[in-house]
Amino acid sequence: MPHSSAIAPAIEIRGLHHRYGAREVLRGIDLQVAPGQIYALLGGNGAGKSTTLNALLGFLAPASGTVRVCGIDPAAAPAEARARLAYVPESVALYDHLSARENIDYFLALAGAERGRSSVIDPALEAVGLPGHAWDKRVGGFSKGMRQKVAIALALARHVPVLLLDEPTSGLDPKATLEFNALLATARARDVAILMVTHDLLSAVDIADRIGFLAEGRIEEERTAGPTGERFDLNALHARYANPGVAA
Amino acid sequence: MVIRIAQEEWRTLLRNRAGVIATMLLVALVLVAAFVSLERRTRIEADRAGYQASVDADFDKQPARHPHRMVHYGQFVFRPLAPLAFFDTGVDSYTGNTIFLEGHRQNSANFAEARQSSLLLRFGQLTPAFVLQTLAPLLLIFLAFTSVARERERGTLRLLRAQGVDGPRLVAGKLMGHGAIALAIGLPAFLVLIGFAAMGMADWAPIALLILGYAVWLLIWAMLAVVISCFASRSRDALAALVALWMVGVILLPRALPEVAAVETILPTRIETEVALHRDLARIGDSHDPEDPYFNAFKQRTLARYGVSRVEDLPVQYAGLVGMEGERLSTDLYARATNEVSAREASQNARVHGFAVLSPLIAIRQLSMALTASDVTAHQDFLDQAEAFRYRFVQTLNRMQAVLIPHIGGEDPRVSAENWKRVPRFAYQPYDPLRSNAASIGGNLMVLLGWLVGLSVLATLAARRIGGIVR
Repeated sequence: MPHSSAIAPAIEIRGLHHRYGAREVLRGIDLQVAPGQIYALLGGNGAGKSTTLNALLGFLAPASGTVRVCGIDPAAAPAEARARLAYVPESVALYDHLSARENIDYFLALAGAERGRSSVIDPALEAVGLPGHAWDKRVGGFSKGMRQKVAIALALARHVPVLLLDEPTSGLDPKATLEFNALLATARARDVAILMVTHDLLSAVDIADRIGFLAEGRIEEERTAGPTGERFDLNALHARYANPGVAA
Repeated sequence: MVIRIAQEEWRTLLRNRAGVIATMLLVALVLVAAFVSLERRTRIEADRAGYQASVDADFDKQPARHPHRMVHYGQFVFRPLAPLAFFDTGVDSYTGNTIFLEGHRQNSANFAEARQSSLLLRFGQLTPAFVLQTLAPLLLIFLAFTSVARERERGTLRLLRAQGVDGPRLVAGKLMGHGAIALAIGLPAFLVLIGFAAMGMADWAPIALLILGYAVWLLIWAMLAVVISCFASRSRDALAALVALWMVGVILLPRALPEVAAVETILPTRIETEVALHRDLARIGDSHDPEDPYFNAFKQRTLARYGVSRVEDLPVQYAGLVGMEGERLSTDLYARATNEVSAREASQNARVHGFAVLSPLIAIRQLSMALTASDVTAHQDFLDQAEAFRYRFVQTLNRMQAVLIPHIGGEDPRVSAENWKRVPRFAYQPYDPLRSNAASIGGNLMVLLGWLVGLSVLATLAARRIGGIVR
């Protein structure tokens, strides 16, 4: 398990507070994700998962607390922070009139990769297991699983140290979920720090190194996979997840 | 990054079958309109030249007559169409182009009802100007209304921002993309104009300004569509807002606002003008009344000038001199009435120009008509030339009467038919809009550029708004 407290975290959130008008949605979040680590942030609707991602993406300036991506404050230097992270939204938004290759090429170009894009696109598509015959087809006809693969291929092609995933397995069938988790394992092996916010406890148990339970704007509890590879106790986690606010 | 976003807009258009078909149809329409309109202009020009030659020949063929009968036989003059009238027919259809010139009265379109419709800016014939002014904005709306709103709707806006694309760059890319599409839509018409100038059929300067004006006009709509798309949360909201703006800005305001100007500054009807002129003419005097004070004084001055005491002793025919003096007086009256109506029309037009701030269509239409010499000013220039010619023509015949008739004598004195060939013929001096209408042209260009500047400010605000969107 390639995570260690000695390695500087790629994602670091301390005492994060944020409010939308009178409603306080984040009440002091603390969270770190080291390179080569997968952190699953579990929480119900309105728990603050998307707001946490928005803070990491630099889409909002927190009311208080610090947020760092590879040591960079995304609110102060959004371009620098975004250059170091890839983001896969819940509903994978791609251009339907473009092929898988063209979508990745376009987003890579916008991310600043002006030259040599073709040399990274094909290996990335191969790595995510998208069938070769689909690479040049318009993604308008793709299933959600195939679109997810294109989005992950984009993330891999960017070779960034941080990957943010928003409900990545939502709507995927079990086989596609397993394939997706295998992709995350590949990224983890490349020392990518991965933060996934999800409802999917099974997937989190299957792939995450750490799991945080987010409720009412704060992380109530964190659990870490065993140091010698033991996975989580699914029943205990399910009981914890189903009863937010109740101490384990 | 900006160029890459613009390129993506072009690729999106090329892969949008409906967009490609609509664009090709509009381009075809521009070319068909140019061809049909050019053909029409050529035919009308040939017809008018033919009619002019025919009436001139008929005038020359008149037998020996009393010159005053020729004053009433008169002459027809036809307004030649400006070379660029094929591009924009302007007010030509409403003003009429034929004037019957005769003595004692001004038979021009000056006081015709049709003149007042010049401000109504109605739908005209199928010309490149009509297609670019009315239909091209609709196409640009259709192509650009989704430009930013759909990025937001399908979630790609969030993904774009995650790649480091900020609001200003995104909006700049969209504007560049749709600006280029707008210019490409105008290109066929621009090439027709350039070809026209290259063949020496029109001057380069008005054509260059015409292309500039239409380029700005098309850019305004492309920019407006992108800006509205930035502010709208959904594509269909953007489309509804843009179609509403098109209906108000292109259809409603250009027709309703001139009506406001017409109500504010009322033009006299033809009957009112005629009645007023007859009243003023009667007030000056009656040359047939021996006791009339004005013509009695005129007679005394004439006798003194020739050093004789009786009309019968004059070396010229006195009736001819009276005719010349009467023509001078009535022409002054007509000129005064014309100037008064022109001043009111100018007031109406100034008001309409002011409305261009609300609807740039008014500005591009005025600019287009001015540069193609098909506006009211160009028509007025023709009327002025025709009236100046009418005066010369009538006075030439009156002078013939005064000078030649005393040497002929008899019950029914007639001058030789050879004399008719010495009567001047109408030679229209081509109207130069850049010299005669520079203020209007400059003003309308400024209004159009002002719209671009205003939309740039709105685009900046829209870009900032996109920067604040997190969902």
